[in-house]
Amino acid sequence: MYSIFKYIFLTAIRDWLYVGLFLLLLAAFGISIVLGGTALVERNPMTTSYIAGAGRMIFAIGMILFVCFHIRRSFDNKEVEFILSKSISRHKFIFAYLLGFSLVASIVLAIIIVPLFFIQSGGFGLFYWALSLFLEMIILISFATLASLILRSAISSVLASLGFYMISRMMGFFVLTIKLPESFRDLSTSDGVMKSLLKVLSVVFPRLDLFANSEWLVYGIVDFSNIKLIIIQSLIYIPLMIFMSFYDFNNKQF
Amino acid sequence: MNITRISFYQNASRIFFFIFFLLFFIQFGFWFKTESIKPTVDIVPEVPNKYAVEALSLGDKQFYFRFLAIKLQNAGDSFGRFTALQNYDYSKLYQWFTTLDGLDKQSRFVPSLAAYYFSQTQKKEDNRYIVQYLDEHSSADIDHNWWWLFQATMIAKSSLKDKKLALDLAYKMSQNNVKEAPIWTKQMPAFIHAELGEDCSAFAVINQILRENEAGVREIKPEELDFMRYFIKNRLDGLQEKKFDPRKCKNKK
Repeated sequence: MYSIFKYIFLTAIRDWLYVGLFLLLLAAFGISIVLGGTALVERNPMTTSYIAGAGRMIFAIGMILFVCFHIRRSFDNKEVEFILSKSISRHKFIFAYLLGFSLVASIVLAIIIVPLFFIQSGGFGLFYWALSLFLEMIILISFATLASLILRSAISSVLASLGFYMISRMMGFFVLTIKLPESFRDLSTSDGVMKSLLKVLSVVFPRLDLFANSEWLVYGIVDFSNIKLIIIQSLIYIPLMIFMSFYDFNNKQF
Repeated sequence: MNITRISFYQNASRIFFFIFFLLFFIQFGFWFKTESIKPTVDIVPEVPNKYAVEALSLGDKQFYFRFLAIKLQNAGDSFGRFTALQNYDYSKLYQWFTTLDGLDKQSRFVPSLAAYYFSQTQKKEDNRYIVQYLDEHSSADIDHNWWWLFQATMIAKSSLKDKKLALDLAYKMSQNNVKEAPIWTKQMPAFIHAELGEDCSAFAVINQILRENEAGVREIKPEELDFMRYFIKNRLDGLQEKKFDPRKCKNKK
């Protein structure tokens, strides 16, 4: 298990993940600082929000690409068969992979936290923001792993994961549309099919819109109920994805 | 037939290169004809509706707020343009302000932009939108936003020359219960009454503050008390000059 752990860490270096993401994040930080500096007032909150928002997007896209292409390539190069030929069970293999990806994610997260630590004004908000971003990434990694195991093409799994991420991030909007259609007077609410579809989506997809809100970095956290929901959501969704992966991988024929 | 086909394959790369070169030349011509076509850029961009804002924020309203706020700040002055504020559509700006308030009501950014920047318009009447926005923004929580009510009062008084409106706003500002707020937030209605020539009302406002001080509602610095006494004396002198009995002020506002 430790060797798989190490193997993923080394492949992240081999695939230039850290260097690539670091350079991208550096560019995003630079642009955020310049853009935030042009604000009439509240320059620090501006810069903080830009770094947090841009960092999260780069982080998510980077992890999706890394996970999907890494797993697909492992299958194509027969690395999976090679590892499974050793004394390791299939569920341990998945678990080790997820832990490895989580370690990679925590290193990238550390790169994002450093500049935020110096400019944010939300106090402990940074801690909760970082924790929820980490959990968000674990959910995303679990889904990307599952998508890569099920789908035969890396591109399809990347697209599926990106779609999953966008829909999950828009879940608050979907729920609002389902529950309070009268608040959107310009939206036709007569479309029952759309409403039902959104309802189905809201059941299946996680509420990622509650995660990593950059408001916590600017004003701190006043209401902790969101944090509770984030932890509960993660405790439900991460095992859900893991067991789904176990099931799929157990039934896979090599 | 075979000779023709062989000859075609022999010359294929030349033919392909010729077609490539021809298409490149056509592309160059296309560029030449279209390089002056610029995308239309509005001075004040269209305001996204609530529906779009909710969807596009992707759950992080603060990030989207900051993104839109800087877009509004730079509206009209991007891509080498410099637009005079009189050419801005202030009704659209007002919608932008309220939309952004829907994303973050705590931020000082939008009221600052409205009060310090957009209020400098050459078309003074447009400032009604600014005053309306600042009034709406502050009314929900006067204690935290008395400063913006003061800005609205000053814009109404100095730019719009609408002292009645300024007076209403000043009265609203005076309702704040913040201990740290300067005493002039309470005195402001009196100053505007005085400018309107309503000495009785001005007198009444200051008198009320002095009474509250005596009752221990708030502590007022001695120099402030001196100023208020001087203000009252001035008003009383003015009323006496007009041969008006100050005691009749009681029935007036």
